[in-house]
Amino acid sequence: MGAGDRAGVMTRRVAVTGLGVVSPIGIGVAAFTGGLRSGRSGAAPARSFDTTGFEHDIACEVPDFEEPAGVGRTSALAVAAARMAVEHAGAPDLRERRGLVAIGSTMGESRDIDTLVAQELADGPAGLDPAVVRRINAGRLSVSIAHELGLTDVEAVTIPTACAAGNYAIGYGYDVVRAGEAGFALCGGADALCRKTFAGFYRLGAMAPERCQPFDRGRRGMLTGEGAGVMLLEDLDSARERGAPILAEVLGYGLNCDAAHPVAPDAGSVARCMRLALKNAAVKPEEVGFISAHGTATKANDIAEARAVKEVFGEESPPRTVSMKSMLGHTLGAASALAAIGCVVALTEGFIPPTINHVETDPECGLDCVPNHAVPADLRVVQNNALAFGGNNAILLLGRYEAEAVAT
Amino acid sequence: MTTMISAWSAISPFGLDAVAFAEGVQGGRRPADCAVPGFDTREVLGRKGTRTMDRVTALAVATAKPLVEGLGDETALVLGTNVSSVKSSMDFARDTLTEEKPFYVDAGRFPNAVLNCAAAQCAIWHTLKGPNATVSGGRATGLLALNYARRLHRSGRATGAVLCGATEELTEERSWLELKDASSPLSEGCAMFLLERDGPGQAEVLAVEFGVCSDLTQAGGVLRRCVDRAFASSDAEPESLWLIVGSGGEGEDLDGIPAKRLCVTDLVGDTFAASSAFGIATVLALAEAERRDGTALVTAVDRDGVVGCALLRLTGEGTR
Repeated sequence: MGAGDRAGVMTRRVAVTGLGVVSPIGIGVAAFTGGLRSGRSGAAPARSFDTTGFEHDIACEVPDFEEPAGVGRTSALAVAAARMAVEHAGAPDLRERRGLVAIGSTMGESRDIDTLVAQELADGPAGLDPAVVRRINAGRLSVSIAHELGLTDVEAVTIPTACAAGNYAIGYGYDVVRAGEAGFALCGGADALCRKTFAGFYRLGAMAPERCQPFDRGRRGMLTGEGAGVMLLEDLDSARERGAPILAEVLGYGLNCDAAHPVAPDAGSVARCMRLALKNAAVKPEEVGFISAHGTATKANDIAEARAVKEVFGEESPPRTVSMKSMLGHTLGAASALAAIGCVVALTEGFIPPTINHVETDPECGLDCVPNHAVPADLRVVQNNALAFGGNNAILLLGRYEAEAVAT
Repeated sequence: MTTMISAWSAISPFGLDAVAFAEGVQGGRRPADCAVPGFDTREVLGRKGTRTMDRVTALAVATAKPLVEGLGDETALVLGTNVSSVKSSMDFARDTLTEEKPFYVDAGRFPNAVLNCAAAQCAIWHTLKGPNATVSGGRATGLLALNYARRLHRSGRATGAVLCGATEELTEERSWLELKDASSPLSEGCAMFLLERDGPGQAEVLAVEFGVCSDLTQAGGVLRRCVDRAFASSDAEPESLWLIVGSGGEGEDLDGIPAKRLCVTDLVGDTFAASSAFGIATVLALAEAERRDGTALVTAVDRDGVVGCALLRLTGEGTR
């Protein structure tokens, strides 16, 4: 899996050198790691909107994060995570290098849209606050990071491919760095919780009243969440040259589309995406140490996803398959970015995060979801699943960085 | 490996197909009304499956239609949007405030409030099972989509054709949210391109380059660097440049470069997220009429600071 020549094109290895986290279970990698290790739950009564009239109000907000005045919450989350990722990587001066900034999202500046609707209802279209109007464009999630870090030689693109957007963005960063088109990529995802998102999932019947129990017989659905996760990717050689901490390698990923149903996943298509990812990463199924599942804890998702895992990895002993959403809730566009960061943490710290709130595994899922307590594990390769509305699947493979393997 | 544009399609204020767009662009006069004439979702796509479909999605699904015939299931799609349908998002949010219960919303319309709705519906309608991505970056969206699509070919993630384009709708809600100092009438539509690896085609995508300007007074300089890099990274001579189509953003003048100039907002109005996709369509429409060789530039400067350009080499071929 070294730098290689594929189809006549020199490619580079892609290192993860920095992680930035704003999550319901902790801000910053250290707090996030502690949360994953101890199985912390981010669930609490929602405070960011009036929950009157809903029969339950539990969500996974980021309690200690206030956006600066005049900034949309989703952009603020993304910018904060990006800044942390750069600091975590040893604060390299990225202005010297050509780069990519790619941030995924499901809803964009959705809380601002809610605010505008409330203003319109109160005072008509003339009552809309121009400062809020000015900041709703989805492209701002990425370009705000460039502005914050003073980056001008960058391609800033928002990739709003819904709940798989984090993996899409990380995958895009991988492709661009791997091909040598950029020296670094800041990539991940962000979303902010808002009333309409809560109402939408509530109405779909996809939401649990109290807790998120992926793969459990008694699961009742997801909890909506918010947050941001951003990774700094660099080409391995430059990262080594500058003495950067090399946390993991991106090994490859797969993308495909069910092209079937707007909200129900298709197990066969998800399995096909896993195979694409494994092939792209040159990883054999038996090399996968654990799977970080999409694992929303809806009836349909967990069964389809478990079926897909077994189709690819075999019925007998599929890898342990955990859902970090049991702790984080469904942070939408941030979900697969935060889970990918959780995978890097697992590789570096040597443990598999648990699936919390677990009582009894649903036999229809029939997977070892590492119930309730993290387990120590010597991991080399991990897989991060993301399945979005519209059947947009993105599956990412990350590997432990093996220093000796790059001796030349 | 080369990325070729082998076919294109457009639904625009000039009408429901590429022919109408080409005639309109050649005529050079912006329609008085910048809504797409005669675009009624149910009339264009039928009643089945369109109950909850919003306009930005319907425009994309219908624009893709003439391009997808004969393509394999593994076709990829890269679709640009700004915030998908702001009307859909606002309507959904409004229901949470005005209905008897906050959850008395239409669950079937929830995916419309999600930003990948149009791309997902295109995939479902036309059975496109390859990579399916949504990208966003204001006026530069079409160029960002083009680069994403080009990279799907380069990385081998797309082995067959890639559909690529951008869509924008004109609704009352969007007009509320536009800056009041807009110099062009708000407009709408969708333009899409069929990209194929190697092979024949009407234009080759030579380079797509981007930068970010910290404030719009810097935009011209950042764009100039993108253009210089586009020529430097390809083997095209600056003298080969025939046409530059701008997106209507600030600082897109590129003074001193001799070439024919057009601005997409002058032609079709302000299609915001679809601007640079319509810029590409303008190049193709005029090249087809004039059978030009040489190169063309499509530029974009977004108000949030994304700056970019695409350099295309015209082959003199017609579309398939």
